[in-house]
Amino acid sequence: MKLSWIFGPSMEAHHLLYAYVTVWLIQGGYAAWIALQWARTGKELQSDPADSSQFDEDS
Amino acid sequence: MSYLGHVLTHLRKDLQLEWRSRDSINGMLFFSLLVVVVFSLAFDPTAAMSRQIAGGILWVALLFASITALNQAWTREQRNRVLDAQRMSPAPPSALFLGKAIANLLFVALVEAVLAPLFIVFYNLHALGQGWLFLVVMPLGTWALVCNGTFFAALGLRTRNRELLLPLILFPISIPALLGMMQATTAILTGEFEPGLWIRLLIAYNIAFTTVCLLLFETVLSAE
Amino acid sequence: MKRSRILGLVGIVWLLASLGVIAYATRLGLILAPVDALQGNIFRIIYYHVPTSMLSLLFPYVNLVASLFYLYWRQRDPLKALTADAVAISSAEVTVVYATICLWTGMLWGRVAWGIWWTWDARLTSMLLLWLLYVSYLMLRRLSSTGQTHTLAAVLSVFAGIDVPIVYMSIRWWRTQHPAPVFGGGGDSGLDPSMRPAFWFNVLGWAMWGIFLLVFRYMLERRRQESEQDAALQAIEASLEIAQ
Repeated sequence: MKLSWIFGPSMEAHHLLYAYVTVWLIQGGYAAWIALQWARTGKELQSDPADSSQFDEDS
Repeated sequence: MSYLGHVLTHLRKDLQLEWRSRDSINGMLFFSLLVVVVFSLAFDPTAAMSRQIAGGILWVALLFASITALNQAWTREQRNRVLDAQRMSPAPPSALFLGKAIANLLFVALVEAVLAPLFIVFYNLHALGQGWLFLVVMPLGTWALVCNGTFFAALGLRTRNRELLLPLILFPISIPALLGMMQATTAILTGEFEPGLWIRLLIAYNIAFTTVCLLLFETVLSAE
Repeated sequence: MKRSRILGLVGIVWLLASLGVIAYATRLGLILAPVDALQGNIFRIIYYHVPTSMLSLLFPYVNLVASLFYLYWRQRDPLKALTADAVAISSAEVTVVYATICLWTGMLWGRVAWGIWWTWDARLTSMLLLWLLYVSYLMLRRLSSTGQTHTLAAVLSVFAGIDVPIVYMSIRWWRTQHPAPVFGGGGDSGLDPSMRPAFWFNVLGWAMWGIFLLVFRYMLERRRQESEQDAALQAIEASLEIAQ
């Protein structure tokens, strides 16, 4: 069976397509967010301990 | 001193404090009155319709009103570092919690006692079911709100935006209880279905959460 | 360093494997599985909707267990408690992600199958309440001050864990409209055998992906905790130097 019907004009096709696409957007977005945070946290770790910029944050 | 003695001491202290200022009771009363007026303007209730919606409105008014009081419940203890003293005292922390929760229960019950006649007047109510069951539903529902509310107010005490945080965590947890009290109240008012199931739900909810609150209060009080 | 490299390699292999399984399962669901006799093609949403909702009911248990371990270890073994807390926050976030997907795909399906986006029926409402509970858990984590976030969040998680069965029962008494569960319902409620592979491969794929997210988020939280500890240590050292 061909997959081309999913791009068809009916609401059924639209909603199925939206569902599959948004599932991927949400899951991929969350994974990308984790990866981004991962990279950011990594920078802090690697920075020079003598670097005084780390202490700017007041808690 | 026995556990009950500790609870009663805390309760007496809270009642005395409230009696001196009467801030939170006055605030709650006026606030819930405003909610009742605003809702009756919004819905323009007739007698038949008001029976359907009055249960929901009553509990929403009480919920919002008790939030305003619960937010203040622990700030008193923060002045002059009373809370730190409580933490160091050898009295069981859960007695402190229980005393405060019972005090809040009494405050909200007082508000209900004033609000109930107003409700009957403004919404032209008279119960078609068994009216005496209100005497069971009101305390159970109020305790469900107040017990968790007091606990979460203590939990949010040292957070940023604590006024905002309390409803944010209290509402989702209380939804089954809210459903129970609204359904039971509607059942009594309309007489269309039996409130027994919902009263049992409220009892189960109260038992479960009162136990957890008592067990975990020490953890929350000493959380660092 | 070598251990972390092996872990990274395992992670990448796991990620690729789960992506492969999901791709295969999606192909099964969209192309190979037959069209449903009653609902037509929109029925294919089930291959994403139901596995996701099954998993979104599973992750809260991880969160509850991790929170209980946190409360147990809190004073006995603070380092272990921190790992339990990292598991708790990652499972809460994954729960919210999966529950969001479940609600969203369900709405898309409901619009076609029932003609409405949303109805206050038992299953929909309980899933929404589950979502609300864990969003409020994440809100608490954001709003509470650093020192006590872990404890407060663990306490709230215990409350949420107790609330879930009560919510489930109360909502069930309140309303019931949603179709009975496809599995373990009545005798004729099972999925057609020709649809089963697509369904179970989706369950497997999304479970693997969920575990990947969980572990990845856990590692991130551990990394954050470590960098926080380093920063705190440096701050203490710096303050000692000033004092001298």
